[in-house]
Amino acid sequence: MLHALKLCLPALFPSWRFFDVIGPSPRLEYVLLGAADEIRDQWEEFRPRPALLPVGTMLLRLFWNPGWNESLFVATCVERLIQDPSEDRGREILNRLRAELERGSADLAVTPFLRFRLIFVSREGADLRTDIAFVSPVERVSGRAAA
Amino acid sequence: MSLDDAIRFTEIVLAIAFIQQSLEHLSGAKELRVLFLPRLALSVLLLIGIQTLWVCIGLLLIALLILKRFQGPYNGGSDLMGVLVLFCLCLAHLVPSVRLQEYVFAYLALQLMLSYFRAGWVKIRNPDWRSGTALQDVFRFSVYPVSEALRSWADRPRLLWTVSWAVMLFELLFPLTLLSKPTLIAGLGVALVFHGANAVLFGFNRFLWIWPAGYPALLWLQHRILAI
Repeated sequence: MLHALKLCLPALFPSWRFFDVIGPSPRLEYVLLGAADEIRDQWEEFRPRPALLPVGTMLLRLFWNPGWNESLFVATCVERLIQDPSEDRGREILNRLRAELERGSADLAVTPFLRFRLIFVSREGADLRTDIAFVSPVERVSGRAAA
Repeated sequence: MSLDDAIRFTEIVLAIAFIQQSLEHLSGAKELRVLFLPRLALSVLLLIGIQTLWVCIGLLLIALLILKRFQGPYNGGSDLMGVLVLFCLCLAHLVPSVRLQEYVFAYLALQLMLSYFRAGWVKIRNPDWRSGTALQDVFRFSVYPVSEALRSWADRPRLLWTVSWAVMLFELLFPLTLLSKPTLIAGLGVALVFHGANAVLFGFNRFLWIWPAGYPALLWLQHRILAI
């Protein structure tokens, strides 16, 4: 509870520094593998944003937006994991990725393993640069640790 | 607005925001039900106005557990504002005198005012915000734009320069809205449009619901100051 109270302090004495600096932007990517020792480099973005969002959907999301809020939370987890690595933070990302994959269309019987990586996109002059900050070990999509 | 009315309106708006958040969480992982079902039930009681002191204390305890579960806020500033409003409501119910209640709600009003002013202050000190580059970066590569189509806004520097300055001036000038009731109501209206735009473009819908929970405190404070 002491830890929770410590987490509460920024709420009681807020800094209100929204968007003061636009720093490197976190992304979560994953690759599905057929075997634990398979090497693939076709990384896919976790929940890529749609090409276009109809105005009606945008307005509906004023009231109901759990998926997007979860995506923002995952981005926060990526930042926290890099700033202050911990097993809990890695597991939070992995669990949400697993849940998303189990809901998705991939045949997980064919690709029962995964790796994920955390990348940061930033501006360098007029160009964008991408830095890989972390690559996970191989994990089972089903939730058990890889052999 | 009287202090009692401000407290009651704050409870109502906060309850609506918490109900919205709880329903979103309950649509996800089942393990979160243990936190968000009680939160939903207590928020409904807060909305109705039953046993508000105990309900607020219960909601505050759950808020601490939620912070612990997610290792910090789940949704950044909107969660922090929720905890702040809830903490002030608890204190307002617990303190033994009206004068102390006034201090508590004045603190909430001050923080709401600062949430705009300080956000504008840190922006205007940053040359990237003054040139419009910061907002271009937000659209170009940040995680926030809700569609790829919105990323093309990064190629409209004049528009984003104008929007950047409109946002900074609104945030910096917000404290002046306290000068009269019409200016405050107009300022709060602009603030709602601002939060609505953020919700539409960046998906920050929870800010749109939680920030107005602090507006009654501001309306009360202005009434209180003008009455002196």
